[in-house]
Amino acid sequence: MIGTPAPRLKLNGLTKSFGGVHALSRADLAVMPGEIHGLLGKNGSGKSTLIKILSGFHKPDEGSLEIDGKPISLPIPLGGSEKIGLSFVHQNLGLLAEATVLENLIAGDHERVNSWFIDWNAEAKRAKLLFDRTHLSLDPWAIVGDLSPVKRAQLAIVRAVDRISSHNEHASPGLLVLDEPTPFLPMEDVRELFAMMRRLKDAGVSIIFVSHDIDEVLAITDRATVLRDGHVIDSFDTAQTDRAHIVEAIVGRAVAQERLVGDTPPAKGAGAEVTGLSGKTVSALSIDVAPGEILGLTGLIGSGYDEVLYLLAGALHARSGRLKMGENTHELAGMTPAAAIAAGIVFIPADRQKLGLALDLSLTENAMLPMAARGDDCLFLRHGAREATTAALMRQFGVKAEAPRQAASELSGGNQQKLLLGKWLQLSPSLILLDEPTQGIDVGARREIYERLLATCAQGAAVICATSEFEQLEMIAHRVLVFERGRVKAELIGSQVTKSAIEAACYGESRVHAPA
Amino acid sequence: MSRLGHQLERFGLLLVWLAVIALFGAMRPDTFLSWSNFSSIFGSEAVLVIVTLGLIIPLTAGDFDLSIAQTLTFVSMLTALLSARMGVELGYVIPIALAAGACVGLVNGAITLYFRVHSLIVTLGVGTFLHGVTLWMSDSQTISGVSRALMQYVIINRIAGIPISFYYAIALAALVWYLLSYTAFGQQLLFTGRGRDVGRLTGVAVGRVRMSAFVASGVLGAIAGILYTGTTGSANPTSGTTLLLPAFAAAFLGATCIKPGRFNAWGSVIAVYFLVTGINGLSVLGFRTYVHDLFYGGALVVAVMISQLVSGRKERVL
Repeated sequence: MIGTPAPRLKLNGLTKSFGGVHALSRADLAVMPGEIHGLLGKNGSGKSTLIKILSGFHKPDEGSLEIDGKPISLPIPLGGSEKIGLSFVHQNLGLLAEATVLENLIAGDHERVNSWFIDWNAEAKRAKLLFDRTHLSLDPWAIVGDLSPVKRAQLAIVRAVDRISSHNEHASPGLLVLDEPTPFLPMEDVRELFAMMRRLKDAGVSIIFVSHDIDEVLAITDRATVLRDGHVIDSFDTAQTDRAHIVEAIVGRAVAQERLVGDTPPAKGAGAEVTGLSGKTVSALSIDVAPGEILGLTGLIGSGYDEVLYLLAGALHARSGRLKMGENTHELAGMTPAAAIAAGIVFIPADRQKLGLALDLSLTENAMLPMAARGDDCLFLRHGAREATTAALMRQFGVKAEAPRQAASELSGGNQQKLLLGKWLQLSPSLILLDEPTQGIDVGARREIYERLLATCAQGAAVICATSEFEQLEMIAHRVLVFERGRVKAELIGSQVTKSAIEAACYGESRVHAPA
Repeated sequence: MSRLGHQLERFGLLLVWLAVIALFGAMRPDTFLSWSNFSSIFGSEAVLVIVTLGLIIPLTAGDFDLSIAQTLTFVSMLTALLSARMGVELGYVIPIALAAGACVGLVNGAITLYFRVHSLIVTLGVGTFLHGVTLWMSDSQTISGVSRALMQYVIINRIAGIPISFYYAIALAALVWYLLSYTAFGQQLLFTGRGRDVGRLTGVAVGRVRMSAFVASGVLGAIAGILYTGTTGSANPTSGTTLLLPAFAAAFLGATCIKPGRFNAWGSVIAVYFLVTGINGLSVLGFRTYVHDLFYGGALVVAVMISQLVSGRKERVL
């Protein structure tokens, strides 16, 4: 094509499989110079695989890459992406909070910076020039931990751009990959970030902008590509597309899940009632859950739906909030795990390995910890009885293991989770808080966990389940609350709880958020 | 692992100890293998056993108490001054000495917990500070003339030929074993050390548990200090401080046996006596004092290497 410049980046037929499962299959992507290109897709759609191939972390099975019309051989050597003009800013930004702006800026820039003698004054001058060029007012000597979140994000972006300009062997402005830099930023900060992205675009830098947020993609990108199940579903000019089209491309046609719960939620009753709950993301939240009800909480990353559980369990400090359970009212600002447990609340966090189990201690010790923490039998632990109780729990909850004396680390994820259910449900709680209860667990074990939960509900316990797996909510939730920026955006009840309805609510028109 | 292998691992150190005794015994049957030699080892090293027991309580909770040997020296000096210089009755001296140890533990715990500083640094500083206090109040002199009753109840009275201090150490080991193995507090300590967040989310008051561990360590350090004074009838402002490294070596070596992978009381007792037997044997063979450092330092490094190997096999990180 005469007159059209070569794309800054062109991927052809990129394929990658892990253990026979296609994470990416024959994916094509083209990004023009000075273009902001949105990359959309659910978790597991292949976005991260694509990015990890670009950063040299994965080796593709098939496919080719061209940059500015020149073929680049794959895989890209790890750490060699800057030389071909690619640079990355990941969600965690990769900054060291304790170090200065300047230290972060030159960290790892071994080829430019003399590693035997760092001329800090010269580096500071260079940093000031760089910040001036990018309209960023930053003191090179400031500590990164003291900066606002948006300044940190901008620093990470400027650093990435700086790396391209000092390392790119092809003398082009290069391509920047921003991997979900926004979910934890307030609206006005997102605008500031977008302003910076537009200035970079004007300078000829191409940007791949990975986001869950359709509003943001509509606001900032020129073109966008949607991935689903490893395939490129669509590539389009953003200006000529509407939200409905994008949502359908991301979500696809929903396949109905078998619902394990009835369509009428249990009648409101003396379950748990939360009012005025505020934490880090969540603000002025009021929710209630009835005995025998499974209430699902969901939303996109950073929307705060999972924080609710930590605040109720006393695992994080709430700024304010009140929890009414039956006759008792608890102030959530002063909640502790011990007080929550005494009030009949149990909490199973998502991070089994760190927060759920002490992996090198035995199954018995883990399962009997609630009693030891409470001080039961405090002056003489009956080890025989503790092991017998644990063995009974393991039978009841279907934990497959050799013996109660085994270390918890030797169990599979599913069995660990079943042990945790046993550890907590033996307390006959009235409110059960679950964070991603089936993360990393195979289908069979999931089913057992669902059945166990439903049986507990049938006995009158209330369950709040925070999860990003919409299928799971369709199967087990009586009611679902969809969160956005710390508030409830939509409520789905009974037969409305379907995967596609939840997805539509998650990605749907925003009520509390409208980026510039 | 096979049952035999498991038992070998549990009692390995005990077997090595017996082998060491047999080896030195074969080389020096008259001097080394005499009952008087062993009864003096058992009696005089009771102090080291108690210091080691004091270390394993905070270690189980994930904290280091590097101040324990200085607590011992400080309390030893306090006991001597109160008894010899001020003529205070033993019945008052001992409670005051124990309270002093508990106070050191409280200070260690308060600084570690309130300011969230690593216990390694806090106890290093507090220990050094205490050593300064000890030198100051003793004017860097050895204080002798302690009430003979104390010596009577520590080193002079013997049961089956072994000084009574040995039995104190064994009784305390039984107490610590019971505490770690048979009480809810023992489980709370264990989770505080090995899964602090798991414990916290299950309602363990991890701050209170860590504080209690520091206080227990201070009190055991004080008991060791009282016995240390009783062993010689005097207090020396510096010699007790050399017990820190042997105690650490014994604590980590003890964690490789009886209950491998965990700091445990009987393992600590065996480790202490294994180490001092080795040193005693080498001295009988004519090696000079430098073997102390070679042996204790080597043992500490070997012990942590073994525990890393054990944990590596079980795919975990201590």
